[in-house]
Amino acid sequence: MKLMLKQVFGSGKFVIGFVIFLAILLTVVIYPIFVPDAPLKIISRGTFLSPGIYVNLYDSIDSATRYTLITDDAEARRVAGRLSDEDRAKMREWLIGNGVDEAEIDGADTAQLLDLWELNFDPTVRLPGMTNADRNYYIRLTASLEGLLSTEGATIASTNPETGALEQSDIVNQTDYVHVNEVANSRLFILGTDNFGRDVLTELISATGVSLTIGFVAGIVATSIGLVLGLVSGYVGGMVDQVIVFIMNLFTVIPTFVLLILISFSIGQESRGAFTIAVVIGLTSWVWTSRAVRAQVISLRNRDHVNLSKLSGHSIAYILAMDILPYIASYVVMALILQISSGILAEAGLSILGLGPRTTEVPTLGLMLNWAMIYQAHILNKWWAYLPIILVIALISFSMNLMNTGLDQVFNPALRD
Amino acid sequence: MSKPILEVNELTTNYVTRFGDKIFAVDHVSVKVDDGKSVGIAGESGCGKSTLALSLMGYYFPPLYYASGDIIIDGQNISGMDPDVVRKTILGNEISYIPQAAMNALNPTQKVIHFIEDVIQAHYPHTPKKEIYELARERFELLGLPAEVLQKYSVELSGGMKQRTVIATSVILSPKVLIADEPSSALDVTSQKMVIKMILDLMEKGIIKSLIFITHELPLLYNVTDDIMIMYAGQIVERGSADEMVFDPIHPYTKALMGSIIVPEEGLRDVKLTAIPGTPPNLKNPPSGCRFADRCKFVMPECRVRSVELRDIGGGRSYRCIIPEEDLRKAYKSEKR
Amino acid sequence: MKGYRNYFLKQLVWFLVTVVVAFTLNFILPRLMPGDPVAAIVARMAQGMSNATGVQAVYEQYTELFGTDKPITEQYVIYIRNVLRGDFGYSISQYPRTVADVIQSSIWWTVALQFPAIIVGWILGNSLGALAAYLRKGFDKVLMPISIFLSNIPAFGMAIILLVIFAVNLRWFPTSGGYQFDMVPSTSFEFVWSVIVHYQLPFWSIVLITIGGQAIGMRSMAIYELNADYVKYARFLGIKDSKIIRYVFRNAMLPQITGLALSIGTMIGGALVAEIIFSYPGLGSTMLTAVLGGDYPLISAATLIVTLMVLVAFFALEIVYGLIDPRIKAAQSE
Repeated sequence: MKLMLKQVFGSGKFVIGFVIFLAILLTVVIYPIFVPDAPLKIISRGTFLSPGIYVNLYDSIDSATRYTLITDDAEARRVAGRLSDEDRAKMREWLIGNGVDEAEIDGADTAQLLDLWELNFDPTVRLPGMTNADRNYYIRLTASLEGLLSTEGATIASTNPETGALEQSDIVNQTDYVHVNEVANSRLFILGTDNFGRDVLTELISATGVSLTIGFVAGIVATSIGLVLGLVSGYVGGMVDQVIVFIMNLFTVIPTFVLLILISFSIGQESRGAFTIAVVIGLTSWVWTSRAVRAQVISLRNRDHVNLSKLSGHSIAYILAMDILPYIASYVVMALILQISSGILAEAGLSILGLGPRTTEVPTLGLMLNWAMIYQAHILNKWWAYLPIILVIALISFSMNLMNTGLDQVFNPALRD
Repeated sequence: MSKPILEVNELTTNYVTRFGDKIFAVDHVSVKVDDGKSVGIAGESGCGKSTLALSLMGYYFPPLYYASGDIIIDGQNISGMDPDVVRKTILGNEISYIPQAAMNALNPTQKVIHFIEDVIQAHYPHTPKKEIYELARERFELLGLPAEVLQKYSVELSGGMKQRTVIATSVILSPKVLIADEPSSALDVTSQKMVIKMILDLMEKGIIKSLIFITHELPLLYNVTDDIMIMYAGQIVERGSADEMVFDPIHPYTKALMGSIIVPEEGLRDVKLTAIPGTPPNLKNPPSGCRFADRCKFVMPECRVRSVELRDIGGGRSYRCIIPEEDLRKAYKSEKR
Repeated sequence: MKGYRNYFLKQLVWFLVTVVVAFTLNFILPRLMPGDPVAAIVARMAQGMSNATGVQAVYEQYTELFGTDKPITEQYVIYIRNVLRGDFGYSISQYPRTVADVIQSSIWWTVALQFPAIIVGWILGNSLGALAAYLRKGFDKVLMPISIFLSNIPAFGMAIILLVIFAVNLRWFPTSGGYQFDMVPSTSFEFVWSVIVHYQLPFWSIVLITIGGQAIGMRSMAIYELNADYVKYARFLGIKDSKIIRYVFRNAMLPQITGLALSIGTMIGGALVAEIIFSYPGLGSTMLTAVLGGDYPLISAATLIVTLMVLVAFFALEIVYGLIDPRIKAAQSE
């Protein structure tokens, strides 16, 4: 046993796969200790907030200390932040369309552009072919441009509770800064938020855990069925073997994914919990395990130690458990690993089809991807809502395949090259 | 005066393991085979005899590498030649090979005749197919094989038929030297006999000029070859005519090998079955003295330090031991009683 | 030739048996679930459809079509008869279209997309795997990790990645559909061109997914063959490496055909999901609409059709395999 473990961990492939898998597993276990939020808690209004730190504006004004930083490019950045290249192009387009000489406009000179804009823009004028959306855009843009080049600070006023009059309470200068840590409320979204305004990272880690569980349950179910059928058909032989082989062949040819769709659809949405889905996946994917186990058992059943055991009158169950199982244990472990990763993939595929588990407490990787697709995260280029999910699925599958290849090379020396 | 067809001088070849270690599986081996003669090479499995068979071909591919020595076929030294030239002009043409596992020696998805076409065209590219077919048919019939075999896939042939097809294919270009590596050991007794008869036929009918027959069955060689060489741990330990080797072994290893086999040959019946205790040395770090020392009954302290050369005792006989031949013979005699 | 005939007959019988089993599973699975789905559909229809005459029409048609009031054996006979006629009733989500009509308009998109893609992927994957096995060293060291990584990206993941890179960011290809949405299918050049442009991303995403697994399989198969005894023997008879390589790859390629047959079901399953990502008008997207619309007749027919497609592909491959591998014939005539 010790030697075997040493051999297994001597395989580079296995170790890499194992480390990746362990890292995923540890993250799933440890992260909720530090971030105890419910994974499906809606935290933002508005969808697809991009990754980054969100600082509370109210608390920033109230922050204990205000620091003055002298930066040369602050103004340029401020303008650029409000007035993108796209906005500039649009403004040019409008100005030219309204009779301003093209040569007069220098897109790079912000001050000149703003002057021209202030001078010429009239929200009531419509250009030929301009849609309502375009018009609203120009109006919004104009509003946001106000005071862009002013050098004065912003005045903060509050209502006097006695008089009800607005009183100036503070002025925020353009050179004022606060320290992020001194702001009472800030929130870090490493992976932004999703279409419902939920923290993607928290959701993703929880989903990984659920998907791994689904994979594990599916793997256990599939491996148990496959193991029992394989052992019985391989060892007992005869009529029993023929019947089981017939069933195996059927399930090899009939596409399990389609079967899965049909069953999941028939179950109906109400009773389609994560556990049910896992069991259904397991029920449809045992065939490869049973084939492999059967082949192994057939090669083992006439070994001397098995015959000896038969002669000493042990029962079939005893022989299978004590004389055959130990020899195929490594294959079974490998099959289980493959079943787990294919179970996770099957759940994802089902969920994309809208046949995933119905949950309100926890997400799964497939459901997250399903939501991202329905809300077109990929078309809107909100990478944080789909790419991490694909990566996690690929990583889980990659790590498991590596472990499997590593084990294969340890237990089947012929495959070493 | 017969001239040597194959002359191998001090041939050394080595394997390179995954970790870069060199293993000298063939260590300064010399073989000489005259026109019309055959030599048998015998030894336990793992003694390097199969490697010797590969090495004698004069063409090497990983993990086997050439280290030193000469292979001279009919006066032509091939060990210095460009491997591509050796492959194109020598292999299959001057020197040919019958593999150990003939069962899998033929490509399963190719008809026999197409493989023969490939063999002939590899050496004589523009031979017309019709000519090849005629040649193959004649050769197969000469060797007692039905011509229909040519149109079959190897999977459609029985084990013995497959082996005989391989033999006929190997000699399709009438090579001067044929190296047969355990050509019959995987077959049943009837097929074995047919294969042996066929190989002897090749010599008799002049298709090949000389034969090297490698096997772990020493008594088989007695019936097949003129001379016998015994190999142990990559080296030749004794050489002589078949009769001498079987009835008058000198080297303790040859003696022990004879004792380890029950043979229904006359004069051998009273030999007791004695397995040779111990295992051959690890060739990664061969012992500095005699390589057989650890398993030898007559071992002396000197054996473990002094390296022994093959000692020529005349009449084509030589052996590798520091004990004089008379002393060994005396010892065997006293043992028998 | 007799050997092959035996093989062919065996395969044919097996094909018929699996088709019958597929029919039966398709019939029985929904009926095994708690609550009769057919009854459930009829109940659900009132809320699902706004068209009152439509509800009535569908209701009547289903009572007749499924014979829900009759015993199960009779229902099965009715089912088989309907299937053989291609009569699957009305689609609930796309009323008043019939299921047969919906399926007919989507199946060819799927067939034209998936089979060429899987075959191209198979050929490319096998060539790359063979090359990796032959060249080893550098090429192998680069190609294998890439293949392993590729084969671990799920089909839908690959579809999304390609879509984002080439359609959303580079804008080389459209993001969705089988042709430009404002076009009417015709044989005009514009339409054909639009179909070709829309075809590219779904096609290549399936090809890429297929390549990974096939390359890995081919590589180990070819390495195994390269160490076979016949390679050594052919070398010692002076046959050139280029010729031997041809033997090896032919022999390594043959089991890969069976491998393809065995995995074609999984491949098509993955490709159907990829279709959904691209909103490709094939069976995958049809299934999605059916699922979202609770359209039982449509999902039942779609799964049956996909199963039949897989079965046909499987047996076509087995029969081709039997034709080109002499070992099959030899095994049968013993």
